[in-house]
Amino acid sequence: MTDLDKMSRRDFFTISGKAGLATLMASAMGTNLGMVQVAEAAVGKSKVSPFRFAIITDSHLYDIDNHKFDAQLADAVDKVMKMNPLPDFVVYTGDIAQSGTDSQLKKGIKILSKLTMPLKVIPGEHDWYLDMGAAWRGHFGSPTWSFDHKGVHFIGMNSILVRDFWTKAGMSAEERMSTLMMLESPIAGPWGVREEQLDWLKKDVKKLSSDTPIVVFTHSPLWDYYPRWNFQTEDAPEIRGILKKFERVMAFHGHVHQTIYNKIGNMSSIGTISTSWPWPYPDVKLAYPWSQMLRSDPANFTDGEGAQHIDLEHGFKGVMQYDPFGDMLTPTMKNGFKI
Amino acid sequence: MKLNKINTSVGYVVAGLIVSVAFLGLFASNSAMAREPYDKAELADMQKQLLEAVNQGYELWHGSKDSMSTNGLACGNCHPDAAATNPQTFPKFQADLGKVAPMRDMINWCITVVQGGQALDAESPEMVAMEAYAFNMHRGQKIDPGLQTRQTPPDVVKGGRGYPWKGSGVGYDKGSKEYPVPGPNQK
Repeated sequence: MTDLDKMSRRDFFTISGKAGLATLMASAMGTNLGMVQVAEAAVGKSKVSPFRFAIITDSHLYDIDNHKFDAQLADAVDKVMKMNPLPDFVVYTGDIAQSGTDSQLKKGIKILSKLTMPLKVIPGEHDWYLDMGAAWRGHFGSPTWSFDHKGVHFIGMNSILVRDFWTKAGMSAEERMSTLMMLESPIAGPWGVREEQLDWLKKDVKKLSSDTPIVVFTHSPLWDYYPRWNFQTEDAPEIRGILKKFERVMAFHGHVHQTIYNKIGNMSSIGTISTSWPWPYPDVKLAYPWSQMLRSDPANFTDGEGAQHIDLEHGFKGVMQYDPFGDMLTPTMKNGFKI
Repeated sequence: MKLNKINTSVGYVVAGLIVSVAFLGLFASNSAMAREPYDKAELADMQKQLLEAVNQGYELWHGSKDSMSTNGLACGNCHPDAAATNPQTFPKFQADLGKVAPMRDMINWCITVVQGGQALDAESPEMVAMEAYAFNMHRGQKIDPGLQTRQTPPDVVKGGRGYPWKGSGVGYDKGSKEYPVPGPNQK
């Protein structure tokens, strides 16, 4: 049994139990049991056997029945379930909820439970700041994790930790949450994974050889894309420093609701499209301008949104493929691009 | 022949007079002879009222009026800092409206169609405030009426590490010139 299998089962137990979906639990477990044979715990560039994983992110669910975002998340789940081949697992890179309520998280879990493959989740700020992650942890456990799958070492971290701006200001939990819900609010200050997770990361990768393929998931990008909208992670340079010894690192992030690609040193950084709404591109000169999707049509509510999948090949070669609901990819991205 | 000469001379004189008058007109328009229409206190009051409208627009933009949305969405969901609203390109042909329209019509389209809310009265102070916010965030952009398919970037409001953290002066940034809680790594 691999790390992934262990964690997948635990996650599905937790998810199913909390969401009261006992019947789904049985089918999910059955699927997971089928995965026991396919993975090897050993990691290393030469040990990578080809596989696919998918990312769904930023559904921003509201406490409103039959909200259009519910259907859009369900559409993304359907998209993943129709992939051929199916992904080995799915990662959700944050912001299931819009304002952090338990009911929003539960609604998301119910929709995501239609995925038959294991699901790994990290939080976004919208999941976290109503109760400082209490409900989120209750459903998903630790936001900091790693596992090995088919020769690749996968890492997930909570990158949306900010300094305490609410106590001194005498803010209520709701005020704290609503402050963080605004993208252009500088009150909260920059995101970060902070010391505890940096220490964890150091230990996590300590014994891994430099040819180990590394894939990192965070909600916010691990580079200063556009600090004004908190498209950044303050301690990203430290993270990149810890991972510097590896030949190659692939970092995937949510938060930006758009296609975006960057490369710093050994780390390629790839943004993801949301299931809720697209964000416009800030006025930033990009090193890889071809990674901008076409401007969304506001009359088409699902334009600029969707899911995505990544195919990893022998030698840790990767191909990123956005799977939008509509036609929004430039020719360079249309049939996937090397990461 | 003589007559022509006289006519020509008169012509020179008339032309000279026209040029002189035009020159005097130019001179007059550039002179400081006219009284300043407003004193400093009056100007400060006008500026204050404009900023109040901009800030009211910011609040409306971020969901302060319940009737503007039935699905929880506010303008700020898709348009942080009023990005991608391109006020300087209006009026323009809006495919969604099927006509050349001013920005306020597009604002109401988003309120009613995307947010499922109730349109603002196009003549209301609230609509003026919405426009005041969006235009303020695009200050300095060239007036450039265009087509719906064209997108111009929003004003760059930089902040965070590596940049001087300058607020927009609006909404949460009201009165703040610097990032309030500098982190250990911030310069």
